[in-house]
Amino acid sequence: MLPVGRWLSPRIRRNALTTERVVYCCVSVVARIENLVVRYGQFTALNGLTCEIPEGATGLLGPNGAGKTTLLKTLLGFVKPASGKAEILGLDAASGDRMIRQKVGLMPEQDCHIPGMSAVQFVAYAGELAGMPPEQGLRRAHEVLEYCGLGEARYRNVETYSTGMKQRIKLAQALVHGPKLLLLDEPTNGLDPAGREEMLELVRSVSHGKGVNVLVSSHVLPDIERVCDRVVVVMGGKLRAAGSIKDLKRIEGDSVDVELREASVPFAQAIQRIGGVISPPKFTTYRIQLPGKPDEVSRAILAAALETRAQVRGYKIAERSLEEAFLDAVS
Amino acid sequence: MSSPIADLSYRHYDGELLPPVNRWWAIAKASIRLSIKKKGFWIWAAISSYWYLIMMATYYFIDNFFSGAAQRGVVQLGQKNPLLSTIIWKDQFLNGFSISQMLLFVIALLVGVGTISNDNRANALLVYLSKPCTKADYVIGKWFGIFLPLTAVTLAPMLFFYAYCAMSFKSYGFFSQDALLLPKLLLISMIPGAVHASLALGVSSLFNQGRLAGATYSGIYFMSLFFTKAMQVVHFKMAAGDHAASPLVDKLYYFSIDGIQIGLAKWILATRGSELFPHQSDLNGIPPTSLSVPQPSFAYIVPLALIACGIGVLVAWRRVRAVEVVGR
Repeated sequence: MLPVGRWLSPRIRRNALTTERVVYCCVSVVARIENLVVRYGQFTALNGLTCEIPEGATGLLGPNGAGKTTLLKTLLGFVKPASGKAEILGLDAASGDRMIRQKVGLMPEQDCHIPGMSAVQFVAYAGELAGMPPEQGLRRAHEVLEYCGLGEARYRNVETYSTGMKQRIKLAQALVHGPKLLLLDEPTNGLDPAGREEMLELVRSVSHGKGVNVLVSSHVLPDIERVCDRVVVVMGGKLRAAGSIKDLKRIEGDSVDVELREASVPFAQAIQRIGGVISPPKFTTYRIQLPGKPDEVSRAILAAALETRAQVRGYKIAERSLEEAFLDAVS
Repeated sequence: MSSPIADLSYRHYDGELLPPVNRWWAIAKASIRLSIKKKGFWIWAAISSYWYLIMMATYYFIDNFFSGAAQRGVVQLGQKNPLLSTIIWKDQFLNGFSISQMLLFVIALLVGVGTISNDNRANALLVYLSKPCTKADYVIGKWFGIFLPLTAVTLAPMLFFYAYCAMSFKSYGFFSQDALLLPKLLLISMIPGAVHASLALGVSSLFNQGRLAGATYSGIYFMSLFFTKAMQVVHFKMAAGDHAASPLVDKLYYFSIDGIQIGLAKWILATRGSELFPHQSDLNGIPPTSLSVPQPSFAYIVPLALIACGIGVLVAWRRVRAVEVVGR
């Protein structure tokens, strides 16, 4: 049984402290990392990382060299931590327990295959290595390769495959034994836009409603936003932010974005007069922060617009892009 | 074209998963399957048995010629064939084994030397080690993937020749000369597999390309073979002179990939070896038996073989890693 833990993003924790608004997000945890330190000789790749990976689809974000791949390799037991603890599916990663790798599927960042094999042989062999009886492995290899869209190409030698096909086969070999957790390291690397779309769709469909938890490591923010519900942001081997994407994009102080027909200086002055903070317009959209409850804020803004005869075209709770949130987290 | 599989959506696998033990056998099986898919393997395997075929053909004609002579009254009926009577049977297996060394090396090149280097090139280690396989499973599986095909190729013609001799030359001391010949042959047939598997694995793990590993292994093989042949020439020269060959020269003769294998085979068979027809006349006054290098002692050849094999496996063990460690 999976351990159940409370998963709370630092931002929400901070909000809870500052605005006395408590938001709990109670979900099961597939991986728990506590003060994890991983060193390669003198170089510290992970430096006291503490985080929890909840069930579902989670993005592992960070710039190049942030420690994402090291974290995945540590979770699989490839790398022994210098200190700290990493637990995956309730098993200690440092123990090197092979049960971990039987329950987890890894899609590595680099191209990888077994030389001299066709895709069916390769995936069936991967299944056999994972513990499937050979006949089951072969049956399942056909099924998974069909799902990954390789069709009749599955009978070809893997070495003749294009980059996109190699990415698909990496996903197929990770999925063949029905893992509980799928670790995807840069799954869209080297793919053209169409291939990228297809790969993201595959990952999304596996991670939503199919009982497979997914941890996607990437520095491509739109990919993460498309596939994942939550993110863990790592930089310099340390945790910089964690939480649902929705929470991360939220702007502190309940700001709203108001779109006018055209930029209006009197409107901005009116908002300032009633104590609001207004940012310079982006095209015709103002970001406004006013004290008070949401309905009071909306009433005050509409009154200001009426007073200054500014035509309101749009009104929504302001949120940042994931890119802004990411830059904020890593800056 | 529509797919023959109707449901193309992802379905979870909830079937049987065997406990994560003995994965080395799955790796060995896959390696063997890849080896026997190669045409070259079968061609060289067939060629490697040529000396046994020549011996079989030679003995067949000697036997038939003598039988014909007996029927024509040239020799007395019931008289034993003088040629076959002098043959030391275990030495014939040693001859076949020694002569097939070069061809077994070619098979080792084909099936063994690229085994880890090609995996390195294709990053296959990530696939292996992300599954419930340990480094030991990988190294042992790869080792057996070379050992078993080579052993089979060595053993098959030996057994064929043994069966032919057992059926035809029982009356010429085939069984009485050495009652334990068959188990000894089984043991000998494992030598090329073990030596080549260990050394080829070590060399293979040092490279990212099978061709480079092959070239390096060939270099090591031929350099050491050249050394052995040089020691053999020295041995001949000393034997042809007034004094016996130096024990040091005889020891150095076995200091090569071929030498280790022949030395072990001589030690197991307890023979220094002889020519195809041991009764043949002396060569310039030198008895043919003194031309062959004496069998090595257990204390020399077994540790030498173990050290060579151990180094190969140790190198492979050290080099096989799921993660390229940087910053060291």
